[in-house]
This record gives sequence, structure tokens and C-alpha cells, in this order.
Amino acid sequence: MRSNPVQRRGRRGGMRRGVAIAGAFALLATACAVDDDDEPDDTSTDVAEGTEDAEGTDDGAAGEDGDDGAAGDVNVDVGVTEEPCPEAVNPDNGCIYLGVLSDLSEGPFAALGIPLTAGQEAFWQRVNDEGGIGGYDVDISTYTRDTLYDPQEHSARYREIEPNILALAQTLGTEPTEAILPDMDADNVIGAPATWWSGWAFEDNDFGLILESGYSYCLESQIGLDWAGENVAPPSTVLAVGYPGDYGGDSAAGVEAWAMANDAEFGGFVETAPDAVVGSQDAAIGQVVGSGADVVVLAVGPAEAASIVGGSLAEGYEGLFLGSVPTWDPALLDSPAGEAMVAAYRHIAPWEGIDGETPAHEAIRESLGDDLPANEGYIFGWVWSYPIKAALEAAVENGDLTRAGVRAAVDGLEVDYEGILPSATFGGEANETAVRTAVINQPDPEGSLGVSPLQVGVTGATADAYEYTAACA
Amino acid sequence: MTELISSGLVRGLGIGSTYALLAVGFVIIYRATGVINFAQPALMILGAYATSVLATGAGLPFPVAVLAAMAVLAAVGMATERVALRPMVGRQPFAAAMVTVGVLTVLFVVAHRLIGTQVRTVGDPWGLQRAELFGVSVAQVDLAKIVVSMVAIGAVGLFLARSRLGLAMRATSMDQEVALAQGVDVGRMFSLAWGISAALAALAGMLIGTSAGGFEAITALVALKALPVVIVGGLDSIKGAVYAGLLIGVAEALTRLYQPRYAEWLGANVDVVVPYVIMIVVLVVRPYGLFGTREVERV
Repeated sequence: MRSNPVQRRGRRGGMRRGVAIAGAFALLATACAVDDDDEPDDTSTDVAEGTEDAEGTDDGAAGEDGDDGAAGDVNVDVGVTEEPCPEAVNPDNGCIYLGVLSDLSEGPFAALGIPLTAGQEAFWQRVNDEGGIGGYDVDISTYTRDTLYDPQEHSARYREIEPNILALAQTLGTEPTEAILPDMDADNVIGAPATWWSGWAFEDNDFGLILESGYSYCLESQIGLDWAGENVAPPSTVLAVGYPGDYGGDSAAGVEAWAMANDAEFGGFVETAPDAVVGSQDAAIGQVVGSGADVVVLAVGPAEAASIVGGSLAEGYEGLFLGSVPTWDPALLDSPAGEAMVAAYRHIAPWEGIDGETPAHEAIRESLGDDLPANEGYIFGWVWSYPIKAALEAAVENGDLTRAGVRAAVDGLEVDYEGILPSATFGGEANETAVRTAVINQPDPEGSLGVSPLQVGVTGATADAYEYTAACA
Repeated sequence: MTELISSGLVRGLGIGSTYALLAVGFVIIYRATGVINFAQPALMILGAYATSVLATGAGLPFPVAVLAAMAVLAAVGMATERVALRPMVGRQPFAAAMVTVGVLTVLFVVAHRLIGTQVRTVGDPWGLQRAELFGVSVAQVDLAKIVVSMVAIGAVGLFLARSRLGLAMRATSMDQEVALAQGVDVGRMFSLAWGISAALAALAGMLIGTSAGGFEAITALVALKALPVVIVGGLDSIKGAVYAGLLIGVAEALTRLYQPRYAEWLGANVDVVVPYVIMIVVLVVRPYGLFGTREVERV
């Protein structure tokens, strides 16, 4: 920096150009972040050359040793080894490796992804503690990857772990999951989604590879509005506020369908984005306050939901907010919007929270000991694991634990959720098999995770009658 | 009219004041060292975190927590300058700016580790309360943003204009070699510039953290709004940073308020691009910013 003034001014001119370029880059980045229409991306070339298990083996692995649950000779290929899992619960068992592609650090849903993954680890730990599946323990830790809720990163990490996994125990996010679906199809890899997009109910969208649990965002908003109509007051105007794309868009489509079915006015879909992108939720708040809607359905992140609820009430809005599953976090009770959330926000959930009385809830509490998870994500992870467990068990029973065998087991697969959800059958008509029940929670400082149920097993006339023939959005 | 004042002007001046705070931090470092500090967003969110810990965790009175957080971040800023930037003295400013990108990455990782994935709050006393301003109900937090920012910027201006250290900083920004010849410890001035800038970023972080929904680590990206602000105001002008911050804040707020009603066809969240549109227009008309120093080119 020892230079004369003219040189320094010249450099400052260079800096100005540099900063202008940086500003323009930030503009482009912002525009990309707001526009949520990323194409599925499978351009990754970052493929790890992991140790691929010998394909076509037909030894039944540990099952041959006569371990409990062994189903005789079982065909295996990728992601199944005769060797025990790292830190195996049952050293005599072989190992089934499942992958986890989640949001574990800096993505917008990391607050959910971390406890969600912990819930899945606890679920599979319980499975292993009970002897495993067909003479195999299940490992989901070795191939857990943080994909930051980024479709490109999701695709890259999938290609990295794919040579070593039998299936995906978790693939978080609708768009990230869509980004890897063609590859999953080519690889015969099934997966459990950490998302409630309506498209997962239809083979046209998921190739029959995604084993979803519970309702969809589209039905969720309809059930919530049905509940509000019966228990608060029939809404004459409803409004949807959410992120564009398959989360907020799916929820908004349900709101619009509900309005049409009930002769109510659909106030529109207010598209917003995370605070980090838009700076604040002031634009959404202004539209909520100006809409005159009786009920607003939110499909955003927790901090954004609190901003919208708190800001709208402060500006004089007097209606009700219904929040989609991901809108709640117990920490919101301590935020400036905490009181407003208690007063005007109700949370829609696909199943009962931690204090439920089903065998599944008891198992979840047992896995936690005296600790509470950070949020409901732990329960989500637990519940989403049941279909994969059922598929693995069915494949073992069929004597075909290859990827193709597991995929073939999905059609007609019956899943027992230990009471936390009604038993489900995969592969049928979505209109017949779709889950149309929810739980309505209210924020409650005394509740175990900041909420207490207002009503469980909620169904609604509109949601029940909805013709579920294609993805809502 | 009530809506225009409450949700347009006061809200815009509130967020614009925060942008101005951040931009003044950019300008102070730029004037002293010729380097754009891209680490400002990370310093901002660390300031919000420090305020949160001291106010809601340690239970300090809120004003004390804010001042303590500013002091902590000032120390972080000065240490950063000493470790990462001082070795770059004599190198091209663009190279030093790239070092600040590295600092941003490191501090951002630290912020993520400290804050985690949960929503945090700064424990401010304003919350969602309203106040009457000339008969119009406005959010207290908007008024707080304006008052706190202007007091802080005014204090920095007074320091630069009236104190011996401020005089030395200005001398350094005008000509480092002459300042050195006059006995000014130029390295100390660099360090001081980073300290003041980081303290202002911490204050801005606290103000951003007053959002009804609290703040997360990723909220740091809001500070990128200060980039168009410093371009519009002029890279070396504190006055420009203040005016441009307020201009962009009000422009954003008015766009949020009226665009969905009168220009819905433009789509959602148009306010996000407003700062950049203003920046591009200003670059075309006045490439050195509204209040920046006109470049002298050697021909």
C-alpha cells in the first residue's frame, strides 16, 4: 500500500470495477435464489471410487449362519456385505448400507435435517438391537452426506455414495430429490423422502422409488382449512404464503383447491423466500394485511413464519395462520413473535408429537431417554424409516436383497407404522391410498416441544373428497 | 398516507439505516487501506450472536450487552487485520480484497458452528411494540434502527473530525507515506479502521437480529445489500454511504408496499433487485458514486 496518490486512485478505480462486478454477481446470485425453478441437475463428475461390493453374490451373508431372522439364501448385490457393519451391534451379522443425503449444516432446513437424521439413526439402532433384518445389521452413518439442500450438491454426493449403498434412508428436499431421481431409476435405488410433496404419490413423478409417509403439503393445507372451518369459523377468503416450488407451491395449490370446493375466495399465492434472500418478510406481511383473508396458510421456514405472524399482527391483521409442518420450531416461543404465535398460529402436523401414546411414540421416547430433541425432526426421521424397513424385510422374505429385488418389493408393500400412522400400502391408486389425516397443534410453552395437540386424527370433508389424480404442483 | 409513512418511509429508513451502518464500515476500511472488506457479513452475524449470548445468555442489560458485543467484535476485527491483512501491505488492493473473502469464509464457518441451526434472538426491548409518531403508529424497532444507527454514525464522524486519532486516520487515508513521515503509526490506523468497522457491523447485526423471527447464521447474507450501497454512495464517502443506505432502504420499502398492487406483473420479491437496479443506474451516470471522489486517470 506504499504508493503515490495517483497510483492509489488508479487502484481504487480497479477496486470500483471489482466491486461492481461483485455486485452484479450478487444480483445474479440473488435472482437465482429467488427463482426456485432449478432444473434437476445430474452433471456431477465428483464420483468417489468407493469399495463396491461384489455383485451377484448369492450367499445369504450372515443369514447362512442361521442367525435369527435369516431368510435362507438371499441374493445380494450392491450395498450389502458379509462383513459386519462398523461398530456392529451384532458382529455375526452382515451389513446393509443405506445412504443419507440431508441438510446438516448451512442449508435452509438444517434445523430439521440434523434431528431428523438423529431420529433415523435411533430407528435403525433399534432395528439392530432387535437382531437386524434377515441376518444383516443396517448402517446409515457411513454414507451420510451433507448436501446443503442444494440439488447440484445432492446429485454429486449421490454419485459419490451410490456404489456403496443398497437404498437411501433419507433424501431431503423435493427439488434435491428430483435432481437424483433419473439416476436412482437407472440404479434401482429406492429412498425415503424428507419432504411431503404430493408428487411422491404418483409413479409418473417418482418412478415408484420414493416411499413417502403421511399426507402431502397439498392435502395438509386442505385438512387445516377444513379444521379451521369447523372449529374457528368458515373462512370466506383464504391466502397462501410460501416459497415458490414444490413446497410452498404444493401447499398453495391445496389452498386454492379448498377455496374452489368451498365457494371461498382464493386471495392468491404470495411468493416469498428465506430472510437471507429477501432481507425481511415485509413484502409478505404487507400483502397478508392488505388481503383481508380470514385464514393464511404458511409454507415457509420457522423464522420466516414467526416474522410474518408477528409482523402481520403488529400491523393490525386479525385472522388465523395455519402453518405447514416445517414452519414450527420450539425456539420461536422465545422470539419477539412468540406471543403472536401462541395467539394466532396453529401448526398442522402429519402425526402426533412426542407425547403421543402409540407404540411408536413409546419407542421414540425410549430411544431418547431423558433428553428431548431440538424439534419434531427427530420424530419425522423415525417415521420416515418404517417404509424402508418394510421394503428390506419384504426383499429378504422374497430371497432377493439386490437393488432390483428391493425395488420389486415396493409394489404392494404393506407398512406398519406402529400406530403413529395408519398402516399403508404402496403401489395402489393414490386417490385410494393417500393419507388424509393430520394433527392440529398450538404453540404451548408447557408442551414438550413447544406445542400441544388441539386435535388429533383430524380429517376434513374437502380433503376427503379431493380427487387425487396428479401432483398438485 | 398512514401506510406510506409507517410501512414505507419509516420502515425504509429503519432498514436503510442498518445498510448505512454496514456501508460506513466498508468505507472506513476502504479509505484507510484501499481494500474492500468482504468479511463484513460474517462480522455482522457474529455481532448478532455476541449480543444474543450476552443479553439472553449471560443476562446483561441490553445496552451493556450491545456495547460489549461491539467491543468483542472490534477486537476480532483488529486481530483479523493484524493476522490476515497486515502481511498484504504493499500488495495489490485486489489481492488484499481476496484475502477478506477468505476471512469471510473462515468467520462464516465459525458463525455457523457457534449459532448452530436454531433460531436465536438478541433480546431487544422493542419486540413488536408500536409507537405514535406524529399521529401515525410505527414500529418501535424501526425508530430504534434509525436512532441507533444515526447516533453511531454521528459518533464515528465526530471521532474522525475532532479527535487526534481521527485526524491521523484521515491523514492516512489521504496519503499513507506523508502520514508516515509525519509520525503517524499507519499500521495502527489500519487496525483501528478494522476495529471501528467491525464494531459497526456488530451493531448492524444486533439491529438485523431484532426481526420478529430472530436470526440464523444464514442471515449474514443480508449484509451483501451494503455492496450496492457503497457503490451508489461512493466507495470513499461516509456521507455517501449514509445517503445511499437510506435511499436504498426507502426504495426497497416502497417497492414492497406498492409493487404488488400496481405492478404485480413484475412478479414476486422485486424489492430484492431494487438495490442493484439503482446501483446500475448510478454506475452509468456517475461511475464513482453519488458522493465518491472522481477518478484521476494518468494519460
